[in-house]
Amino acid sequence: MRNVLTIAGKELRSYFVSPMAYVILAFYLGICGLVFALSVSAPQAEADMAGMFHTMVFIALIITPVITMGLLSQEQATGSMELLMTNPVRDAEVVMGKYLGAMGLFVIVLIGTLEFPIMMSRYGEPDWNAILAGYIGVLLAGMAFMAIGLLASSITASQIAAAVIGYVILLFLWLIGWLAYAAGEQVGNVAQHVSILENFQDFAMGIIDSRPIIFFLSLTFFALFVAVRTIENRRTI
Amino acid sequence: MISCEGLTKFYGNHQAIADVDLHVGEGEIVGFLGPNAAGKTTTMRILTSYIPPSAGRAEVAGHDVVTESLDSRRSIGYLPETSTLYRDMRVTQYLRFCAGLRGMGRAETNERLDYVLDICGLQERPDDIIGTLSLGFRQRVGLAQALLHDPPVLILDEPTVGLDPNQIIEVRDLIKSLAGDYTVMLSTHILPEAQMTCERVIIINHGRIIAEDTPQNLTAQIRQAETISITLSDARDDNVERRLLDLSDVVAVRPAGPGTYHVDTAVGSDVRAQVAQFVVERGWGLLELRPVEMTLEDVFRQLTTEEEGVE
Ligand SMILES: Nc1ncnc2c1ncn2[C@@H]1O[C@H](COP(=O)(O)OP(=O)(O)OP(=O)(O)O)[C@@H](O)[C@H]1O
Ligand SMILES: [Mg+2]
Repeated sequence: MRNVLTIAGKELRSYFVSPMAYVILAFYLGICGLVFALSVSAPQAEADMAGMFHTMVFIALIITPVITMGLLSQEQATGSMELLMTNPVRDAEVVMGKYLGAMGLFVIVLIGTLEFPIMMSRYGEPDWNAILAGYIGVLLAGMAFMAIGLLASSITASQIAAAVIGYVILLFLWLIGWLAYAAGEQVGNVAQHVSILENFQDFAMGIIDSRPIIFFLSLTFFALFVAVRTIENRRTI
Repeated sequence: MISCEGLTKFYGNHQAIADVDLHVGEGEIVGFLGPNAAGKTTTMRILTSYIPPSAGRAEVAGHDVVTESLDSRRSIGYLPETSTLYRDMRVTQYLRFCAGLRGMGRAETNERLDYVLDICGLQERPDDIIGTLSLGFRQRVGLAQALLHDPPVLILDEPTVGLDPNQIIEVRDLIKSLAGDYTVMLSTHILPEAQMTCERVIIINHGRIIAEDTPQNLTAQIRQAETISITLSDARDDNVERRLLDLSDVVAVRPAGPGTYHVDTAVGSDVRAQVAQFVVERGWGLLELRPVEMTLEDVFRQLTTEEEGVE
């Protein structure tokens, strides 16, 4: 566990040493702020964050591959992997450390967005339970996103390729819900179950249901598991 | 402390090392010598569990490098061939990170940190960003992290590459000072380096171990003759070669360029003074006289041709 935290701390620190963390924070809070401003200035604005959460989860998808692309790719490209992996650390600890580092940045971003419900509570009466549900949803979706991004980063030594692979997987999982409508009843039902958008719907409306929780957690677990296996296999080449 | 049996590694179809057996005893300093692509780095990467062998087994400090790799890795300090460190970290920050991964406590870390910074000549730049350091200083940081956790076994892949002459001497002295307490395996291309620092050298070529002995024995064994090179400005006399051959102990004289001759003498005899005096007396205009160092290439040529002769 200590190794995981050591690696996570190192990753989190390096986000803040480079402009990365600040660019991500500015981008995320900027877009969310814009959407928030538009929604509260609408004629019949309500103290409701459902639309806000949809924005938050989509922008989380956009920033994910940027955050995760370097995590393992860069180590492989520069050769620093050799020094890292010859330390007495398990492959799974390295992957978990990197993952927690990325999640650390994401949680900091989410904390930054708390300004919106706080602002809302000044002028209206937001439903705090719904807001809590929304945040749990964004966090769970973010967990799955970061795991998928990290998986992409484990596959290739090229950061650009890692980012592209990350976007392809995430957008596919996002859009599969729309494809579902086109595909008709039978396929559509199955497709809807694995769609990020569909699974997020309940949270955005303030409902905490077990099925989407299980969906996001298993997606996270599966992606991390594959990432660990990829790193293990890389050694055997 | 280090032992391998039948170690073999294939990269795809390419066999990088074949059936490598080697043993390094506790407290021994062993040089691992070989030309480019001989398989030195490959062997060291297997020993440090970075890559698994295709066949054979290896143990470090009594732990199998594949099945008990966490234990074997814990007892190794490793300096990879290209010390690729995290460029955005500061020197001590990076070393503390390494200490964390090796389970070192705070007090122990502070104590060892002072020691390795001092011994690796980094005490003046503990807070420099690694990416801004020169190549030689990055190599020092690499060495510092290898020594950090006071490991019983050190595996150093070309430790003096990129260092300035002073630092090379310091690092060689440092390695020599480790004798007895640490088991050291270091790879190099440079024969004199191995001769200076190691008690024993293992020579690898084309992935196979071709010789293993003390540096002295090895050079004696390979070297049938000592050679000196002389350069003359004024060798009108056509019989330079024959006249030199008349000197006692001179075995052969070969022309080696305009005015330059290589004089082979029996092993163990030093004819430099004799030759110099002779040349001066003749008025041949002595421009240069130096012993010809046996290069690693010579060693390989000899070892490999000898082997072929046997087959
Ligand atoms: N990752 C790899 N994939 C494919 N082939 C490799 C790989 N690493 C090394 N090789 C090959 O294995 C052989 C041995 O390489 P190795 O790096 O062990 O040599 P070396 O003795 O360390 O050489 P040098 O003195 O140049 O460092 C070479 O032919 C090399 O091309
Ligand atoms: Mg090498």
